[in-house]
Amino acid sequence: MQKMNIKVKKRLITILLSMLILVIATLLITFNLRDNIIYFYSPTELQEIIIDKKNIIRVGGLVKDGSYKYSEETKIYNFVITDLKNEINVSFVGIIPNLFAENKGVVVEGVAKDSSSITALKVLAKHDENYMPPEVIDALKKNGKWQSE
Amino acid sequence: MSLGNLGNILMLTCLLASLIQALYLIYPHTSFGKININYRVLTRIIFITCLASFLLLIYLFLESNFNYQLVVNNSHSEKPLIYKIAGAWGNHEGSLLLWILVLSFFNFVFLETKIKNTEFKKYVISFQSLMIFGFTLFLLLTSNPFLATENITNEGLGLNPILQDLLLAIHPPILYVGYVGYSIVLSFAVGGMITNKIDQEWARWLHPWVIVSWIFLTAGIGLGSFWAYYELGWGGYWFWDPVENASLMPWLAGTALFHCVIILEKKNILQSWVILLSILTFSLSLIGTFLVRSGILNSVHTFASDPSRGLFILVFLAIILIISFTLYAIKAPTLDKKSKINIVSKEAGILANNWLLLSSLFVVFLGTLYPLAVDLFLQKSISVGPNYYVLSLMPILLLLLLIMIVGPVSKWQNDKLTNILFSISKLFILSLAIIFAFSIYFSELKLTQITLLTLCLTLMLVSIKNGIRTNRNYSIISPSLGKSLAHIGFGLLILSVIANTTFATEKIFQAQVDDLLVIDNYKFKFDKVNQTKGKNFNAVTATFSLLDNKTVIETFKPEIRIYSNPPTVTSETSIVRKFLADIYIVMNIPENADFVNVRIHIKPMMSFIWLSIILMVLGGISSIFFRIKLIK
Repeated sequence: MQKMNIKVKKRLITILLSMLILVIATLLITFNLRDNIIYFYSPTELQEIIIDKKNIIRVGGLVKDGSYKYSEETKIYNFVITDLKNEINVSFVGIIPNLFAENKGVVVEGVAKDSSSITALKVLAKHDENYMPPEVIDALKKNGKWQSE
Repeated sequence: MSLGNLGNILMLTCLLASLIQALYLIYPHTSFGKININYRVLTRIIFITCLASFLLLIYLFLESNFNYQLVVNNSHSEKPLIYKIAGAWGNHEGSLLLWILVLSFFNFVFLETKIKNTEFKKYVISFQSLMIFGFTLFLLLTSNPFLATENITNEGLGLNPILQDLLLAIHPPILYVGYVGYSIVLSFAVGGMITNKIDQEWARWLHPWVIVSWIFLTAGIGLGSFWAYYELGWGGYWFWDPVENASLMPWLAGTALFHCVIILEKKNILQSWVILLSILTFSLSLIGTFLVRSGILNSVHTFASDPSRGLFILVFLAIILIISFTLYAIKAPTLDKKSKINIVSKEAGILANNWLLLSSLFVVFLGTLYPLAVDLFLQKSISVGPNYYVLSLMPILLLLLLIMIVGPVSKWQNDKLTNILFSISKLFILSLAIIFAFSIYFSELKLTQITLLTLCLTLMLVSIKNGIRTNRNYSIISPSLGKSLAHIGFGLLILSVIANTTFATEKIFQAQVDDLLVIDNYKFKFDKVNQTKGKNFNAVTATFSLLDNKTVIETFKPEIRIYSNPPTVTSETSIVRKFLADIYIVMNIPENADFVNVRIHIKPMMSFIWLSIILMVLGGISSIFFRIKLIK
């Protein structure tokens, strides 16, 4: 009887310990996940949120016609992302991908300065010239501006 | 009869044959039980029809037969020959046909193996045929590659130029063989459960199949990563992108599986665990395909896709899961023989490795699927940054490396911890000393990195020693050599990845001809810009020379290619591989600019990353030959 009890106790401790480890591990992973989430906003959605200058976010839409400029002195690219309702000014230092063009979809990743401008750290390119990022399609759909081809 | 109709008839024959074979799963238990079907003939018919239709499809692409919609959409008469062939599977319909072909090929090879237990064999083949039936039905209903075009044209639309790459032509088939290979593993589990044959002999039969899939999956992931490295021009080789994760998940489960099969084979324990891992691994292969094909993922690798295809794969997955889990629920009480595992033994090490692999699987799974769940329920678009993976996987990796060091040197059944620690202590101290010396020289190394690097080096040294010690007769075909190679490869992989991420540098220049570009200790001169003409594209090629004082040591020719069918611009990287580092140059010309954008990366240890994957694959190949020999 005594022996049995010790065995049961031992097993109970093992189970409790492993559950504790499991819970801690899951919590750590989930917190870590939460800290590393990058939210996507359309220009309109960006107006509605409180800007946190520490967070990296993504903004997507169409590159506005005639808005793409490059300054040789500052080496900064500027362009405007629009969902045909609201606009965001983007400034970017780096290499603009090949598939980047006015009137085409684009997604940039960076830090918002205020609700209408963002400093991009990355301009995301896609494989295919006809490809439209799903978020951009959604953003356009939300404004009723999406025309499927 | 047109060629397309021939293709349709072949696929219909395959559909019918696989259905008849699949029905064997139920009809021994019905009044038709007496009917004798010849599973050998059926299996061969299934395989031959699949092979013939696949060859037929390649033929249609070769002769640029624009009577067929698939050829119109994915080919062009001016395309180089090899890409015409690759065009056959570089699209959804063709790749699905390839998927079915591989399913039936594995089925066929299994038929020809020397396993004497016909009852078991029949059930495995029947379950495999059920899967062939499902996918063939899907092919014929939603994605028939032999569909005639409605508007007759004389020219095709071309193939996405970024996909016109030799490596990308062979990468999907290899990855597919890996994915689909796990289907026969699942069939083994199902067949084994039905015939009550989950034992050591079963594990010995299963073992080579598990390794074959693992080899192809490893090679496929490696090739994909290599392709992304030189073709996408971002200087990276792994982006924690959902599509990459989709291939990593079955790899993690598959790696756990084949380690676990070793225990079953040796000690006749853990039957349930092996079955569960078999189900899990193939399910993850299906989920991976679903994620990629359905287009619900927001990925850099997204190609044209269609949600209804995704739905089919989900339904199919559900059916597979229901069948296998029901069977498992029925058979589970009889599966496990005895299971007492000492905490210090080889089997405990393997089991710990299993849990760690599954933990990393959980991390990857959560990171990949969480954005999908958020999108589905909250209509909010998010993505998960690479930091999540790096931070979450770091502690798991640390433990995994520890286990990989002590596990292989410990004995089966029971061992003494002091003995194990003693046997690795010298090599551990040696590694620590080497890494410590390095860390004094390169002050940017952090404590976690030093720890990981030390463990990697220890793992490599211990595996080398182990490989030599257990392989005295220098046979190339041996399980211990395979194990050592694969473990050395894994240690080298982590080591190189850490060194690479820590010491890589990159710099962006806006350069005009004759400019001097300086990064670290490297000086590059921008010599000239040329216009050249390729087979089906025009190109702008720049020439850069790497200078040592005034002499030119290397020249780089990065390119911008302008394709016209379909109109696309791509950047071709120029990479020079040195022993210790890659020099990687990619360029770009902004619109209306009188300069080029140049990005130069210095990427240390790159060659070792590829070498480590080759070592793992070689390790797999070495043990597969041993396993096959064992069956005969």
